[in-house]
Amino acid sequence: MLFFSFFKTLVEQQVTVELKNDISIRGTLKSVDQFLNIKLDDIEVLEELKYPHLSSVKNVFIRGSVVRYVHLPAAQVDTALLEDATRREAATQASKK
Amino acid sequence: MSSLRGNSHPSQAPGFGIPQDAFASISLNRNYDEDDGIDFEDTYDGLGDQLDEADDDMNEATFGDGGGGSGAGAGAGGTGQSIGKDFDFFGSTNKVSDAFDEEGMRFQRNQGYTSAKNTTMNTAPAAAAPKPYRTGYEGYKNASHIPDLQVDPSLWGASPASQPQPMMPSAAPPSQTFALNSQKKMMSLEEVEAAMRAQPKKPTPGPAQETQFQRPQIQSQSPPLRMQPAPEVTGPPAHRYQMLQQEQPSYPQSGAPSSSRSRVMPQASHQAERRPMESRVELPAQGNFPSQSNQVPQILQRAQPSDAQQIPQHHTSQAPRQILQNPKRHSEQLDQGQMYRPDPGHQLQNPPTRGPPGAPGPLPIITHPSQLAALSDDQRDAIMAAEARRAKRNHKIYQLSKGNGLMTPQDKNFITRIQLQQLMTATGNVNEPDPDVSLAEDFYYQVYNQIEHRPRQTPHQPLSNFAQTYLFQTGGRHGGMNRRHNRGDNHMHRMQQQVQRAVEAAKAKPKNKQLVIEGSLGKISFSNAKTPKPLLNLKGSEKLPQAALSTTDRKAILKNIEAVYTSLMKLEDHDRRVPQQPRNAQDPSSFDAPYQEWQQHFQRLNERLWLDLKVWEPIIAESTAMHPFIAFLSYPKGKKAIPRIWAHIDSQQRLTILTIIMVKLDTLDVIRYAQPQLAASQSRSIAREQVDLFLHAVMPSLFSYVTEAPLSTIIGLVSLVMDRVNVPAVARSQVGLEILTMLLSQAEIIHKAEATSKPEWASWLEMYNRLFDTVEPLLTDIFPASVSAGKDIYAWQFLATMGTGANPEQQQRLVLAVKDRVMDTVRQAKTLPPEMALQKRGNVNLFMQAIGLDVDLLDG
Repeated sequence: MLFFSFFKTLVEQQVTVELKNDISIRGTLKSVDQFLNIKLDDIEVLEELKYPHLSSVKNVFIRGSVVRYVHLPAAQVDTALLEDATRREAATQASKK
Repeated sequence: MSSLRGNSHPSQAPGFGIPQDAFASISLNRNYDEDDGIDFEDTYDGLGDQLDEADDDMNEATFGDGGGGSGAGAGAGGTGQSIGKDFDFFGSTNKVSDAFDEEGMRFQRNQGYTSAKNTTMNTAPAAAAPKPYRTGYEGYKNASHIPDLQVDPSLWGASPASQPQPMMPSAAPPSQTFALNSQKKMMSLEEVEAAMRAQPKKPTPGPAQETQFQRPQIQSQSPPLRMQPAPEVTGPPAHRYQMLQQEQPSYPQSGAPSSSRSRVMPQASHQAERRPMESRVELPAQGNFPSQSNQVPQILQRAQPSDAQQIPQHHTSQAPRQILQNPKRHSEQLDQGQMYRPDPGHQLQNPPTRGPPGAPGPLPIITHPSQLAALSDDQRDAIMAAEARRAKRNHKIYQLSKGNGLMTPQDKNFITRIQLQQLMTATGNVNEPDPDVSLAEDFYYQVYNQIEHRPRQTPHQPLSNFAQTYLFQTGGRHGGMNRRHNRGDNHMHRMQQQVQRAVEAAKAKPKNKQLVIEGSLGKISFSNAKTPKPLLNLKGSEKLPQAALSTTDRKAILKNIEAVYTSLMKLEDHDRRVPQQPRNAQDPSSFDAPYQEWQQHFQRLNERLWLDLKVWEPIIAESTAMHPFIAFLSYPKGKKAIPRIWAHIDSQQRLTILTIIMVKLDTLDVIRYAQPQLAASQSRSIAREQVDLFLHAVMPSLFSYVTEAPLSTIIGLVSLVMDRVNVPAVARSQVGLEILTMLLSQAEIIHKAEATSKPEWASWLEMYNRLFDTVEPLLTDIFPASVSAGKDIYAWQFLATMGTGANPEQQQRLVLAVKDRVMDTVRQAKTLPPEMALQKRGNVNLFMQAIGLDVDLLDG
């Protein structure tokens, strides 16, 4: 749930989603769910020439399992808080076992 | 018209007549002896011709005026499957057939085809001549007799199993049904028999009555048909049993309706029914035969029910079922019955012929025409428009309700629970007694939003919002669908119960995430969104016994840091839970129990944190190993933790930390690695980051303590630095200088505030002099290497602080020591753009003014 929680804070931010098929899509993160499915709006494909079929696509829903990376806006990440959240997550995981 | 049709019927629409009755043929059997070996050819003999003449008499009455249209439809249907829908003798037949379809589908799912067969078999013993398959004709011919033939409702209710039967053939091709039937037949037989026995078998006085009784049992579909003299097909014996086997009386021969099949011979039926089992083998061949007509008979039967019949069905057995499936269906049928007559004109003109008087269905029709005639055009138009609207609406409803009844309430319940459970596990328990649990799940998001000051997000809002939204939506949706708004609340209530149940279920779910089935090679792991299925199942190696604390070990240090963080977070959590307490009460005894408990727990956590910090690890002067706390501070994480730690430790602990830092000042990474002579640019840039971090994270905490410290503490700290630390190294680093500046300036401030006693001040002056003497030779080294280096303000600040505390003689020495640097800086400032020059001169001026001079004097 940490990632879900984290990505929720990036809603309405500009992110770049790199898919496992090497397509990189930049757009505004509209929503994300527990499976880290991602909805992007106002998208643009980074290498547009390579993927002309996507040039007219304006928004996408990306299944979470096909995402390789998400490039984040660094300014929108509270690193210290994220560290703590990670510690908490680890603690709860550990306590569940 | 009617007469024409009646005559033509047998010849023109053989298909129509034919399929009707496997059973009709059975009835013929009576005339023949029961023989299994019936010749196929025989069945074709002129039986049909015989029948036609007599039976046609009734056609007029049966079909009425409207019959013309319908008759045509029926004829067409004989060859095509569409018949079922087209065969609209009576307005509502269509609906009835639909209802039957649904019913049949449902039944097939549940029981398969077997039951149908069984019913036929069972009925045989009853000695009633089954006339299961009848053409619509039979009923219509007897229209006048209808009242007598009305079905006893009890029959319907008693023999539900038989109902589905008619549907089966239509659903599946004969051959398929066959196989199924053969397998399953036996199962339902008993049930059917039981049902049969439950119903007293009445001797059938007349053919018509006979049929009534038998029908219901055998074919529930064609309930109380008036079957008397119908153009039924009485096939030759051989045909008969074939047909029986198939269960479908689809016979070419039926095209020539023969005898009045209404007289069913019990024996004959016996035969026919038994045979199916025996002679299945034959079926395929036969199946091809009647293939076109197979469906027709069924449909016809369904469509058959005349007004009189229909109504009883509706009201008794059928209506309730339909309602289960689709509440609208019933009314819809009625409506459609009125609206969708093949020929509207017909309706109006010849209503009376349609149904027996008193039948509810036709009544509206009857009334309408007469009324319409009397009405003005406008009114008529209005009425027609209203009718059209209603029809449209009904049609729409009908289309929307296609899927209705596919799922039982249990099914829906089941699925709803699955969904809710998923929701629960994904979002946590809405009713979670301890909000911390939900907070733990969504910590980052909630806290981040708090930090970002988004007031719309209260800490626990997202979760409960989620569930609430879900509940509301669902409730709304249901209400809308049912158009019963008064039931909305009910739904809400039920949904809430669902949620609760789901929560219970989620709680009861096994903690174990994996299931190993005995004998299997793999593991089945349960997963949900919250705890995804682990793709890798690595077992962490057993914890190594804590190695003797080697503080230089990076891993050990990092572990220490994590331990500190863990304790820290516990403390912070605990902080949020501070109970309400009388803040003004200083007397501990006045605190209520919860607060005392909280305090105790706080103490425990505090001690834990303190232990984790390892501040009290013995200080070994000669040891080269880093002190654990200093090691702690050498990592960014450790530095960042200081402000948070600071908030949770008491003054004494703060002083202890300050002390240990002073004692080990020269081993701090920010001092050790920030020495000017370590010139490697890369390591310097790293050191630079560390220094900045230290100055931002640690210094404010230290400073906040020092600014409130008494002079004696300052003296103690400075003496520690003088005694235990390599002062030149400290003085050559920014952090060291700033710490010294901090201490010296605090002493000056205290002095200015006149808050010092004489002896204290004396001891401070002594300490100052020692420091001055130590630092004086280093004064040129405290600056960054080059004059042009940007950030040297800390050095000027230090000099200024030294200057303020210095006596005139010491000031003199200060000026002498840094004179060159001052001159260089001023000279360089002149080459810089105005703003930077001003800044440079300002820095220098800090020092100059501290000793009563000013940079401007140098210019002059």
